[in-house]
Amino acid sequence: MAVQIEFLSSGTLANKTSAQKIKFILDAVKQEKIVVLEQALTPAEEKELITQTMGTVTKKFPGIEVSSLSGAPASDLRSMLIQLLGGKAGLTVVGPSNLVKQIKRDPGKLRLLTNG
Amino acid sequence: MHFHHLFSWLRGLFGSRKTFSLGLYGAVNTGKTTLANRISMDWTGEPVGTVSEIPHETRAVQKKERIEINVDGKRLTMNLLDMPGIATKVDYREFVRFGMKPNEAQQRAKEATKGIVEAIKWLEHVDVALVVMDACQDPYTQVNLTILGNLEARNIPVIIVANKIDKKNAKPDRIRTAFPQHKVVEISALKGDNINGLYKEIAKTA
Repeated sequence: MAVQIEFLSSGTLANKTSAQKIKFILDAVKQEKIVVLEQALTPAEEKELITQTMGTVTKKFPGIEVSSLSGAPASDLRSMLIQLLGGKAGLTVVGPSNLVKQIKRDPGKLRLLTNG
Repeated sequence: MHFHHLFSWLRGLFGSRKTFSLGLYGAVNTGKTTLANRISMDWTGEPVGTVSEIPHETRAVQKKERIEINVDGKRLTMNLLDMPGIATKVDYREFVRFGMKPNEAQQRAKEATKGIVEAIKWLEHVDVALVVMDACQDPYTQVNLTILGNLEARNIPVIIVANKIDKKNAKPDRIRTAFPQHKVVEISALKGDNINGLYKEIAKTA
């Protein structure tokens, strides 16, 4: 079975509100895609993602696996501007739990294990 | 502000009890309700909720109000709040594997999702949080990070409880390494190991 991955760069994410980010993530994972964001979610966004996910759980869509890694503090102008606009350096991976068995994390890396 | 501190000092001088809310948070099946029952039984003789090996047994916030504790001469009154376990997925098929009928399992799943939303809402509304982790499991999970991140953002004091130390494969030091910014108290809620150590830490923090 082919796995679809959608990647969203930090530049694209800088133009999205938190609500738009959460909606984008959920719409994509409900279509059985794995979403990679070039940005860490804030604790408030993580909380909202779980809340929104719980509102969409069904027999066929039990939920998500998610992991967010914080990156190094901004060192160049572009990164600083993105962080000023509310973005958090790092990486986030989200996938439907039907497809993604687990996202294992060490402090500095993520490992995605799929089902099947 | 100075008057507020003077007033608190005077209240303490006359032995007035301070009431605070203590929330028990954590992933599913870490032993939150077992711990809540242990605390409640120790100080009131009554439990708070039911425990089961089937995940998501606690599906609504369970409260025990006005528990009076006395630790090292310090008297406190707390409202204990046992939260549903937080998860990013609820699969009814897991309950079927424990022998539940599909329609019962689906109902449990529906209640569990509501419980998770309720637990998340309560992340902003407690005075002190116990974040309960299973010392036999990898603590560096997104659920634990989300819980801690939100409590830290609200400056809510946190005590991490490394539970299930009665089990052979418990590794509480792994939790200390993962979260060095927080106090970690290792206990067995089931057997009562080091529960007094936890009470002392709660009394210090509250």
